[in-house]
Amino acid sequence: MAVYRPSQARQQKSQTAPQEPNLVPIMNLFVTIIPFLMLMIVISQVALVALNFSSEGGPVVAGDGTGGGGESSEQIEIHLMLKEHETGLFPGMEIREPGGSTHKLPTLSENVYDFAGLNSVLIDMKQRHADTNEIAVIVHPEVIYDTLIRTIDLCKTNGFVSVHYKNPKNVYFY
Amino acid sequence: MSSNDTNVRKQKGRRAIRKKTEESKGLSITSLLDVLTIILVFLIKNVSMEAVKISELPDMKYPTTVTVETLMDNALVTPVKLYTDRVLLGLDNQLLGSPEDLIENVETRSVMLEFFQSEMSEIPEERYDEACLIVQADGDLPCAYITEIVRVGTNTGFQNIYFATLEEADWLSSYASASFE
Repeated sequence: MAVYRPSQARQQKSQTAPQEPNLVPIMNLFVTIIPFLMLMIVISQVALVALNFSSEGGPVVAGDGTGGGGESSEQIEIHLMLKEHETGLFPGMEIREPGGSTHKLPTLSENVYDFAGLNSVLIDMKQRHADTNEIAVIVHPEVIYDTLIRTIDLCKTNGFVSVHYKNPKNVYFY
Repeated sequence: MSSNDTNVRKQKGRRAIRKKTEESKGLSITSLLDVLTIILVFLIKNVSMEAVKISELPDMKYPTTVTVETLMDNALVTPVKLYTDRVLLGLDNQLLGSPEDLIENVETRSVMLEFFQSEMSEIPEERYDEACLIVQADGDLPCAYITEIVRVGTNTGFQNIYFATLEEADWLSSYASASFE
């Protein structure tokens, strides 16, 4: 009569050669997932320029171009214009310093703005107003979006991190 | 020759045949599996749904900036895409109309307002601060259209508005040289 011996059973188990796991299904899964993920991956990431419109003094889209809780008189303003007008508008940029001078930077050619000039003006202004982080960009409706973004970009790179986005008066009814 | 002899010879003949080709060994794919696992982990780490929401659109000319700001954490994103001929709202790219309609058509602005309000209504009140409007617009569009979107967005309660651009560290010098040409 055969005697059951657990120790022998364990011995037998350990003696059997370990079987290699079948990796083919996992491989199939991986080969499917990887091309799918590679399709989803974003190669050229879009950069972002942020404007905060919170009520705590953040940028505002003021209807009359003077918004921002009455701070406009204390803010440096950059006016972006495209058309000439008898009221004093001209194609180009006008930088108004509070209690200071006004810098006029006409366009170099059609729709080409003097960003190098703006950059040097902003560098000078930052040296004079080291504590100021706020600046207002007042953009006229016909100015192209690229010009606006480049202007905001120059403001941010020169230390004016809080950019107020304003536009001349436009009223719509909903 | 007896039949027994022939059987013996046949058996001998069978024994004499040797397999010329040895059984091919199973290809070890363990190392390949290791590589694939590393690639998989890397890809999963890099693929984020937020990135997909604001990925570069092929038929749009983005403005270039030095400034690269990151999207705030846990942002609740509502994208708006402004092409030169159409405006698309939300992740589902709902067609709103043409950019001109934003200025000329009251109905279009009302639809946009309702869309933004519905987006905001889906956000819990305690997370209003995390609501983000991402404007992806063509660089050649007039600012009037952008202003309208920003105005409606801020009126609805979007406190964070991002403008999608492409990073170019030295755009100022290239812009100057291009303008002199």
